[in-house]
Amino acid sequence: MRFRKRFRKQMAFHLFVLLGVAFMLVFNYTPMFGILMAFKEYKITSGVSGIFTSEWAGLRYFREFVNDYNFPTLIRNTLALSVLKLVFSFPVPILLAIMLNEARLVWFKRFVQTVSYLPHFISWVVVTGVLFAFFSANTGLVNQLLVDLGLIDEPLPILTDPDYFWGLAVVSAVWKEAGWWAIIFLASIAGIDPSLYEAAEMDGAGRLQRIRHVTLPGIKGAVIVVLILSIGNILGGGLVGSNFEQSFLLGNALNSDKSQIVQTYAFNMGLAQGRFAFAAAIDLVQSVISVALILISNAVARKVSGAGLY
Amino acid sequence: MRRRTTEDRVVDSINYALLSVIGFVTLYPFYYILILSFNSGTDAAQGGVYLWPRSFTLDNYIYFFRDSAWIQAALVSAARTIVGTVLTVLFTCMVAYGLSRPDLMFRRVYFLLVIVAMNFSGGLIAYYVVLRSIGLLNTFGVFVIPSMLNLFFLLIAISFFREIPADLGESARIDGAGEMTILLRIVLPVSMPLLATMALFNGAGQWNAWLDAAYFVQSEHLRTLSYRMIQIINQTVISADAGAAVYTANLKVTNFSVQVTAMVISIAPIIGVYPFLQKYLVKGMMLGSVKG
Repeated sequence: MRFRKRFRKQMAFHLFVLLGVAFMLVFNYTPMFGILMAFKEYKITSGVSGIFTSEWAGLRYFREFVNDYNFPTLIRNTLALSVLKLVFSFPVPILLAIMLNEARLVWFKRFVQTVSYLPHFISWVVVTGVLFAFFSANTGLVNQLLVDLGLIDEPLPILTDPDYFWGLAVVSAVWKEAGWWAIIFLASIAGIDPSLYEAAEMDGAGRLQRIRHVTLPGIKGAVIVVLILSIGNILGGGLVGSNFEQSFLLGNALNSDKSQIVQTYAFNMGLAQGRFAFAAAIDLVQSVISVALILISNAVARKVSGAGLY
Repeated sequence: MRRRTTEDRVVDSINYALLSVIGFVTLYPFYYILILSFNSGTDAAQGGVYLWPRSFTLDNYIYFFRDSAWIQAALVSAARTIVGTVLTVLFTCMVAYGLSRPDLMFRRVYFLLVIVAMNFSGGLIAYYVVLRSIGLLNTFGVFVIPSMLNLFFLLIAISFFREIPADLGESARIDGAGEMTILLRIVLPVSMPLLATMALFNGAGQWNAWLDAAYFVQSEHLRTLSYRMIQIINQTVISADAGAAVYTANLKVTNFSVQVTAMVISIAPIIGVYPFLQKYLVKGMMLGSVKG
């Protein structure tokens, strides 16, 4: 009886929450059941109920994906982009934060920092346009400049030659996101006890030694947390994300040999070609690997430092 | 402070030099497309415009604002930004207000639902199937409805509302005010930093969104600024005549000069709210760090 009375008293709050729950059921949980599609002979015309009612296909679509002639290329590109981004994009924000911290001129430091995370708020579409303005073979500034200076005879096909794609993707992702992630590390550096620096200086430590023995140990916690996040999202592009956006917006018919990744392939198979069950199977392979990576990296981090996310 | 050592001097010079390069490399691309948008397109195609407009003109902007397709696209982008942001802020705050009640029954169940939804997704393909079957595809709603509940902001809002003294709404409650009234009249007005943070970040996200505009709608009148930019970039990226003049209007514009102009117009609002983004970024991080 008291139970019911208490519930009635907070009825309005439950109503608010239940509207949110209803929303999550539609937009978050129903798609989770959509994973079933990967094991079914699903036709898009059968709608959501078709996910449950259509016939089982077993592992047919997974087998089809593994035997797809694009499979090796897709896996290679996905892994290469992910690993390259992890290796190159992870240290940059840390270095940037340390450099900003070492800059004594306050206005200068503030200016560079403010500028450095501006690109984070610009969409990948605009960044693609910027890359076009700088690297396209005919109107790109870099090509014009290099030809004008006589350093090259022919414009470099940076946007269309497959061999440039990975480099372009890594550099542009770092350009866009390094300043944003540096904020976290700067905040972490700001939390270091200043007396540690004074003590180190007393002991005769120079600038670089202070960075090495005070700053770096001081931000270890933040580094590990961010590393977990980026390994967890490694297939999405790690810290800087954006594998999908780049493959989509910077990829084209000419560089597809290096630019097509598992995510964009699934997207194309599903939305462009209408092969939804096949696409869902590809999606699922990627999701399972991602979740496994998050759990593994977190377990490792917890062992190493005693600081895990979950 | 001790005397500057040689090491200090070396470290400082290298550091300032590198930071200056970083600042330049980050800022110059924005400056470059800005001067290109004020430069005659046909002139820019010959190359060599690096520091300021060589052949100053407003032709690109005139072309942009005379083209009904670009105008329509900018309006759709603005509409989704405003409507989407208002819906997200209100709906997310409403759910958060419900969840912020400390003695709420079943709150463990509710929170579990939120945490699971935050960490797992069914993937884009299944999401598309859901949007299709509830009839959201090819409607304006697809831009603003699926993003109404932002789970990340939800957690921040819950911890923010918990910090508000409970007796604030008590007298209104005694006077018989409903919880919706209390939320709108009492709780939200004292939560301005929270609302501003949510509105700014969500607004920037809406303005920049492109995937839904490219794949979830087909009607020409629902195309957004992002979509039109993708279109024009794709048109020019492979073709060799990106610098060729557009002959439709009596203006010295090219596909490429129209593209950079659209980019400037797309960046402008972001730069406009950037000081506020910065201000609330700090506040937002502090809000996020308050544990519930």
